[in-house]
Amino acid sequence: MQSRHSVAPVSLTLPARRHSTFRIVWSILFILTFLGSYRLAQVKPLLLLEPEGRRNIRTFVTGMFPPDLSWEFVSLLGRPIIETIQLSLMGTFMAIVIGLPLGLLATRSLTFTGILNEWEIVDSRPSVFLLRKGTYLLARAILSLFRTIPEFVWAFMFVRAVGLGPFPGVLAIGISYGGMLGKVYSEILEHVNPGPLEALQTTGASRVTVLFYGLLPQALPNLVSYTLYRWECAIRASTILGFVGAGGIGQQLEISMRMFNFNQVLTLVAILFVMVAGVDTLSARIRHAILDRSVD
Amino acid sequence: MRNLMVAGGILALMVWSYVGTEFSLRELLGGESAIQMLAYVRKLFPPDLSTQFLLKTGYWALETFAMSFLGTILAILIACSLVFLSSRNLMFAGLLFDMERSRPWVRVLRTLLCFSAKAVLNLLRTIPHLVWALILVFAVGLGPFPGMLALGIHTGGVLGRLFGEVIENVEVQPIEALQATGAGRLQILFYGILPQVLPECVAYTLYRWEVNIREAVILGYVGAGGLGQQIQIAISLFLEHRLLTLILAIYLIVTAVDALSAYLRSRMA
Amino acid sequence: MYVLDGICKVFDGRTFAVRDLDLKIRRGERVALIGPSGAGKTTLFRILNLTIPPTSGTLLFDGLESRHFSGRRLRDVRRRIGTIYQQHNLVPRLQVVHNVLSGKLGSWSVWQAVQSLIRPAELDLALGALKQVGIANKLYERTETLSGGQQQRVAIARLLVQNPEVILADEPVSSVDPTLAAGIVRLLIDLSETHCKTLLMNLHSVDLAFAHFPRLIGLKNGTISFDLPAAAVTDEHLAALYAGSGTEAAEEEIVSRAEPSFGRSCQPHLTG
Repeated sequence: MQSRHSVAPVSLTLPARRHSTFRIVWSILFILTFLGSYRLAQVKPLLLLEPEGRRNIRTFVTGMFPPDLSWEFVSLLGRPIIETIQLSLMGTFMAIVIGLPLGLLATRSLTFTGILNEWEIVDSRPSVFLLRKGTYLLARAILSLFRTIPEFVWAFMFVRAVGLGPFPGVLAIGISYGGMLGKVYSEILEHVNPGPLEALQTTGASRVTVLFYGLLPQALPNLVSYTLYRWECAIRASTILGFVGAGGIGQQLEISMRMFNFNQVLTLVAILFVMVAGVDTLSARIRHAILDRSVD
Repeated sequence: MRNLMVAGGILALMVWSYVGTEFSLRELLGGESAIQMLAYVRKLFPPDLSTQFLLKTGYWALETFAMSFLGTILAILIACSLVFLSSRNLMFAGLLFDMERSRPWVRVLRTLLCFSAKAVLNLLRTIPHLVWALILVFAVGLGPFPGMLALGIHTGGVLGRLFGEVIENVEVQPIEALQATGAGRLQILFYGILPQVLPECVAYTLYRWEVNIREAVILGYVGAGGLGQQIQIAISLFLEHRLLTLILAIYLIVTAVDALSAYLRSRMA
Repeated sequence: MYVLDGICKVFDGRTFAVRDLDLKIRRGERVALIGPSGAGKTTLFRILNLTIPPTSGTLLFDGLESRHFSGRRLRDVRRRIGTIYQQHNLVPRLQVVHNVLSGKLGSWSVWQAVQSLIRPAELDLALGALKQVGIANKLYERTETLSGGQQQRVAIARLLVQNPEVILADEPVSSVDPTLAAGIVRLLIDLSETHCKTLLMNLHSVDLAFAHFPRLIGLKNGTISFDLPAAAVTDEHLAALYAGSGTEAAEEEIVSRAEPSFGRSCQPHLTG
């Protein structure tokens, strides 16, 4: 009895410690990638400490103060700020228009698997099935093409094609964000609880009816919430688009940068900060409101 | 009624931004712009697939990859060096400090340290990559190095905030138990907090890497090397066939990083 | 071991969890705390193991005033008090061996602790403790993959490694199936008997309390309802303790009292 409860060294064969080959292989790969990247990226930390680098940073930082708050400069900014907001909004609208239909086609549970399609799979000819699966694959391919090419490359090309101004900016955001929205929409729709859909289907509802009465109502809070998040990103992106001539506040930022007017840069960065923070808070509020309502 | 108001509001916003951005459906669907766009797309084909150019493209793609990879690692370093200071539950509040009877000024100091770390992270995060890149290119010259720094600094702020949220929301019961055995705060960090938050932090980091490979392309535009810079050159010099090759390279490398990150995340879970 | 004098704990400035509590517990004593849920048992335990400070009153541990504990000294005292929780007290993603060895953290330096995460130190200690609770084969499993009962045994193994003078067990068996529960209680009691450790246990089951503890304390609404030798506790005492606490709890008590005593069925689990 006594010996049972005192902690004494035991002679017992030790269970083997697990050495996962996964870890070893990936560690080696990681180190090799790191070394290769280090060479390739021409990393020279000392550059930051060299007198010239230091001097440049000092010029930049001292040049930023005091920020340029003169009326002639600030009055120039009203239009680009509004333009940036409009650009992000219109871009997001266009992204929805592109993303929603493609997203629906790229939803597996709508097009060729799951309870909505059980009957058809057995019933219909293989050609119909292949057509459905083909549509699905095509939609996914388009979405992935849209979203992997960064919005700035799209903007650059649209500026070349249709000229300067906010219009190519809208197209760029619409297309690249359309690709992202479509992909995430399809993921959200695929994870919807299938129970209600099954019930609807047994009432004889068509696929479109099931979509509107079962699928979308369930998925709506998540869809809206993600779209709002993308709108936040669009505000940030539309500042970048200005660099390639697609309107908005980025254009002014580039000009000020080129002219070495660092005090204007500070003003612009501050405005950017306020805009991004404002949109973040606003969209967080809306999101909370939507999610809270859907819980009730 | 409420729904009507929301719908009306959205419609108004749409009209407002439609007018403001000189958007034109007619142009888009059949006017001059549509014709110009088609013409531009036609000019892209065929892509320049000469061996010499493909080799160069491969090198630029690797450069972009290296920028995103090292940028993400730098971001981890920055985030980790600030995140513990910026976590309230590690610095001054909650369970770990219930029994602490340190002098008031120590407490004030800890609180201040925490909030200043938070402020630094916010600053890093809110200034966009591109602005960081502009500053750094100005400081250290052209090339992927300033691009990598810009990615690292901005992403460091983003990851710092994300990690901080994970740490502040960590499950407290295991930590209470560790503390009750007499473990110190640092030991609790290693035994109770890190093991719990690590998988989530790794997943966040991989997500940000996916974002960073795209951003690395963008940074090329302001002189940070890689595919982005070449795209700028190709567009400016009307080298459309090369442009298409470069775009294909972006597609490949972004897709590859996405797939790799998704694979690693699934292994971690 | 413990002297409590007028201990109060107030949450949010108005809710009394514990009110004017006076209590003496001698070294090596075995005491069961019973009472309806919400009586303040868990809060009392968190005060006793120095997780939260009392709002007012004095707590003496081994003659030392708890108010003076801070930093290193606080940790040294905490090391002498071991706690078993109801559940969720292990780090889920850590391997069992590290959870067990975390009982040593109070005596290890930070450096030793970090090293042990890479290469477990004092492995035979951990293995011995796990063998004692019958799950030595789980040494390198991830803790979250274990069942509830197994996790509770890992927690006990951690306690064995910590080797404290006082054991506080807060409803250690309420999330474990009944046969195993008896075994766990038995193990803790043996531990306190053979090594003269002070044992305080919160129990949901009045029956277990009567079967194993010489002294019973009834806690209700944050105050002591009775504090008597087990033999002196009557059904009236219990009725008063559970009166007004909802029929559900009272019924549960009756059901648990009606259960047969624990046979040998649990033994293989723990000796194996």
